[in-house]
Amino acid sequence: MVSKSGKWLIFLYVAFLVLLFLMCSTDLIIREPEREIYQIAVIIEDARSDNYANFRKGMDQAAMEFNVDAHFITLYEKSDEEQQMELMDREQQDGADALIVVPAEQEQMAGKRMNVPVILLSPGPAEGAASGSIVIDYEKMGEQLAREMLARISPDCSLMILTDPEKQNAMDRLFLQGAQRVFDSEGRKTEVMTRDEKEGFRAALEMQDLQEKAVLLAENPEILTEAAGILGDSQTAAERVCGLYGRGNTVPILNDLDRGRISGVCVTDDYSIGYLSVRAAVQVLEGADSVPIAAETYYIEKEDLREPLFEKLLFPIE
Amino acid sequence: MRKKKFLPGLLAVITAGVFLTSCQGVGKEERKSSLRIGISLYRADDTFINNIRGIIEEKAKEYERESGIKVTLDIQDAKGSQNTQNSQVERFIALECDVLCINPVDRMDASGIIDGAMTAGVPVVFFNRQPVEEDMNRWDQLYYVGVDARETAILQGQMVVDLYQEQPETVDLNGDGVVSYVMLEGETSHQDSLIRTEWSIQTLKDGGVPIEKITGGIANWERSQASALMEQWLSEYPDKIELVVSNNDDMALGAIDALERAQITEVNVIGIDGTTPGLEALENGSLLGTVSANKELYASAIVELAAGCALGEAPPEEYPLTDGKYYWTPQEILINKIKENP
Repeated sequence: MVSKSGKWLIFLYVAFLVLLFLMCSTDLIIREPEREIYQIAVIIEDARSDNYANFRKGMDQAAMEFNVDAHFITLYEKSDEEQQMELMDREQQDGADALIVVPAEQEQMAGKRMNVPVILLSPGPAEGAASGSIVIDYEKMGEQLAREMLARISPDCSLMILTDPEKQNAMDRLFLQGAQRVFDSEGRKTEVMTRDEKEGFRAALEMQDLQEKAVLLAENPEILTEAAGILGDSQTAAERVCGLYGRGNTVPILNDLDRGRISGVCVTDDYSIGYLSVRAAVQVLEGADSVPIAAETYYIEKEDLREPLFEKLLFPIE
Repeated sequence: MRKKKFLPGLLAVITAGVFLTSCQGVGKEERKSSLRIGISLYRADDTFINNIRGIIEEKAKEYERESGIKVTLDIQDAKGSQNTQNSQVERFIALECDVLCINPVDRMDASGIIDGAMTAGVPVVFFNRQPVEEDMNRWDQLYYVGVDARETAILQGQMVVDLYQEQPETVDLNGDGVVSYVMLEGETSHQDSLIRTEWSIQTLKDGGVPIEKITGGIANWERSQASALMEQWLSEYPDKIELVVSNNDDMALGAIDALERAQITEVNVIGIDGTTPGLEALENGSLLGTVSANKELYASAIVELAAGCALGEAPPEEYPLTDGKYYWTPQEILINKIKENP
């Protein structure tokens, strides 16, 4: 026979267990704060994502930390600003909470009005639609590279700029403007070599009748990779060139830098840019003001690839 | 009395209403206007996989343009860890992906992925690494896109057989009547590695090429590992190696790196995959030949099958499936014309 006090003890024990169960497994007593998942669409200006590998790693890291569902969108055609505008509208309609955009054309972007926060990865301070921006100053990058080139190249070498006017975007233009300004101020003449649609730069590099060797400056990572490839497998072209410079940090560019086909490049910390852009978008969504962030640019040569600072920057571990 | 009659009548009306509403819903099921595809790669830095990934992105955009259905790709790198891949699959399911495209890290351990997908009702298209048959037979919403490893190996062997029959001196470099070769193998856990090794050599023998194996080693599909092995073999067996048979292009390129360092140009190297760096090596003459799957078709099959599954449609007819599950991508031999016609 269980005494009356014993029955009470059993009852209290069972009630305690029920209470514990309710506390642990339901929202009835302790309500866990619901974490909102932010939908963020990242729309770049390129048709391929190769140049954005480190950027994506940074973006994915921030997405995990800030509870973001981020998806990456490339254009059907590179630098197609109209399609980029359409994609921005589409993503907004499909429920994106914020957009991160690498504008194909910043001037058009300035007139664009959106109902969701837009973080621009722009070559200048953002206007119009943008709620925040990460500024990568391509003009300054061009100036920096030109100064480094002039400090290294012989005055006997002529300067040749490799460009593709058909596919040139705002970043390419600003980069060349910056470089040209420095060359002009130092009284160095430059020549322009335009990409042939069928043969690329190969024929021009192999056939050109140069009195003196040339130093090449590529306006973007694609042209830099192409030129390095030509110098690698064409002895004729390699003999006419005494240096190749440009911008970008894709794996093929870094491999060519390591092999000595590329003399020097300007790079940005793409991992941090990816991370900071997602963080800026979340900050705006949570009501904070986003301060424009200026991304640093660095000039590197073959020897710098093994420097701990650049190793971390160029080959980030997720 | 009235109340008693009214209640069953009301219940009957409600039941009929619910039934009719549900029937209407079934008939009017709308076609999806957007698809979300979760893609997990065993290792994004694998050259072949990276090539395929790039083409998948292009094909997804093509599909989007043609069908008007928005396609969102979530591409993740499992970095060679099955646990990481399992977590990625859980995340894809939590993010309500309509279909998964998985390049398994461990083909013997795909059951966790299949369990999760079956529970959530999300179809899976595996590619490049074929899960074991028992796993593939567990559900009718599991597919595989890849190449027939035996066919690959036979084509690899055949390119040397053809060359030997036409110009034996380009293969038997020292003219001693025997072709001495070394073998670079991929991961031991990958089914293709074993099949490629066995059948390429069998084809050489069947084709009448007198061969002698000097040595072989596992370089795990990697260029750097293959380069180190080749360097070691070149010092152990100087002037003996006439042919390098590699299970893939990356390892073949590693062997070429070692040969270039040793300033040896005449040794023949053959690979598999037709990767971009492999094709460059083929063009500049350092690689004798490679076997290439039609990568455009490979990637298209993955995208089209995935989209079809997600929309609940029958698999597209352009990609005929073996046993209703397997799509084998056509392959071709690519050979260096300089060596073929010296």
